[in-house]
Amino acid sequence: MVAVETREISKSFSRGRVQALSACSLQVPAGIIFTLLGPNGAGKTTLIKILTGLLHPDGGGARLLGAPLGDVSVRRRIGYLSENHRFPEFLTPNQVLFYFGRMAGLERADLSDKIPRLLRIVKLESWSNVKIRKFSKGMMQRLGLAHALVNDPELVFLDEPTDGIDPVGRREIRDLLIELRNRGVTLFINSHLLSEVERISDEVAILDRGVLLEKGRIDRFLSQDHQVQIRLAGEGDTLPQICAALEVPVSRTDDVFTITIADDQQLNRIIDEVRKAGALIRSITPSKISLEDYFIKVVEEGGEQK
Amino acid sequence: MIVLSIIQLTFRESLAKKTFIAFFSISTFIALLLLFALNLDVVDGFQSTISVFGKESSSTIDLREIIWGVEGGLAVFLFTGGLFMALFATSNLFTNLMQPGFVDLFVSKPVSRLGVISARFGGAVAIVAFNIFYLVIATWLILSIKTGLWNWGYLLSGILIVVTFAVLYSLVTLLSVLTGSSAFSLMITYLILFFSPLLLQRDRIYALLSSRIYGIIVDGLYYILPKTSELGNITQKVVRGAEVASWMPLWSSMLFGLAVFGLAALVFCRKNL
Repeated sequence: MVAVETREISKSFSRGRVQALSACSLQVPAGIIFTLLGPNGAGKTTLIKILTGLLHPDGGGARLLGAPLGDVSVRRRIGYLSENHRFPEFLTPNQVLFYFGRMAGLERADLSDKIPRLLRIVKLESWSNVKIRKFSKGMMQRLGLAHALVNDPELVFLDEPTDGIDPVGRREIRDLLIELRNRGVTLFINSHLLSEVERISDEVAILDRGVLLEKGRIDRFLSQDHQVQIRLAGEGDTLPQICAALEVPVSRTDDVFTITIADDQQLNRIIDEVRKAGALIRSITPSKISLEDYFIKVVEEGGEQK
Repeated sequence: MIVLSIIQLTFRESLAKKTFIAFFSISTFIALLLLFALNLDVVDGFQSTISVFGKESSSTIDLREIIWGVEGGLAVFLFTGGLFMALFATSNLFTNLMQPGFVDLFVSKPVSRLGVISARFGGAVAIVAFNIFYLVIATWLILSIKTGLWNWGYLLSGILIVVTFAVLYSLVTLLSVLTGSSAFSLMITYLILFFSPLLLQRDRIYALLSSRIYGIIVDGLYYILPKTSELGNITQKVVRGAEVASWMPLWSSMLFGLAVFGLAALVFCRKNL
């Protein structure tokens, strides 16, 4: 099932002078963590705002959980944490979740059970009756996350969910997002914290100046085609000699050899030769690059093409 | 239920900003003033002595005139000072709503934008109506119980004041949605509020105009804009039980309010937030 489907969504501002989104089409399968990446001004927040009904697209359309964009009733099944949310400062976390939970269509009785549980999850239970004007940025972000989950949504849009949160808090939120994904919730995240994204995302899309440059499973992006890293136990020369004989390029960093192979058969032949030579293989892993490196490469290539 | 929760939050916002409490305190003060300060000695439907803050007057006046006069005075106070304060106290409700990060919380919920703007508007009117009726009903009960004279027209004046507020507040709503400035929307609304008596004197203005076209413009403004001055006169007549010659100022003002609120809703629904 597809949770989010956009068809050629376009949006411009300042009477067409700023093109925020250009014919953006993507599909997000249900039950995954999907992250939209892009430099500042790429159009990430614009896309989320269109999907949550805050902005009207100039062209194109979208379906959320099978319902067309203008269908407000589907929002009962959707949660949203906006980038700069501003809850009324005179409210306490209990009151924030009560009022906005009611606006999400929940009954009073449901909320009396749900609010303490949500505040416990985001570690704000001891602050439940304190006015939020005293809250730090991180606490507000946790409250925003609780607000986004108050209606037990099937699809959650999170715009920079770990913004302003300390490393320990980020890890807790990461774990919470993974738990939600495991329960079948679809998470659509905007983030510029690439190391965070790399750890939790199933799929990513890269957006730059309103154009969708890449989209796909994160492991596909990060694995380097035909590059394999091999670690051998206490062996220095065997592998380079074998690679030289087979004309396979090899490089070495400490005890890790990186080889560039033509295909899987060549890799298996190298392994056979190494074992025949009596060397002990500790590990063989597909070579990966960091998401940051990949992101910069894609954005730079996209910029050059333009 | 969703719309009701937006109205409740608007009430809560008013409470937090102390405007509700200020309204309520002033209303309570006036009601207590009437309760303790005004003492009437009634004999056979006529007042034989009247004392305010303990000072007695011995002149014989028709009791009905006194009560109708006090209630008329309160209605005028509510129509002028009350409306002025009510508009001031509620003017920032829509500019607050339009704040980025706050409006997201409403518009992303399973409620249409028309529902959001209507609920917010309804919340503001409910705050003002609550306070106006609190004062009207409290003073009506005090005066009626003290004298045995029950003036139902005074209760009706409360409705007229709330309707006038709603008409003027529709303009505040439209201007706030368009400009995002509560100061600007309030200034324009006050201008129209005070422009009304001037337009009422348009027969005298004609003599000063150099061209007929200006006369048509003045006439157009008179018929289009809310007729607050005449609504004030109607309110007084209703309190005194006098006959109202024409209800045109009421229904034409209500039409203005409906049209302006409709325009505000249209702008809000089409706006990129």
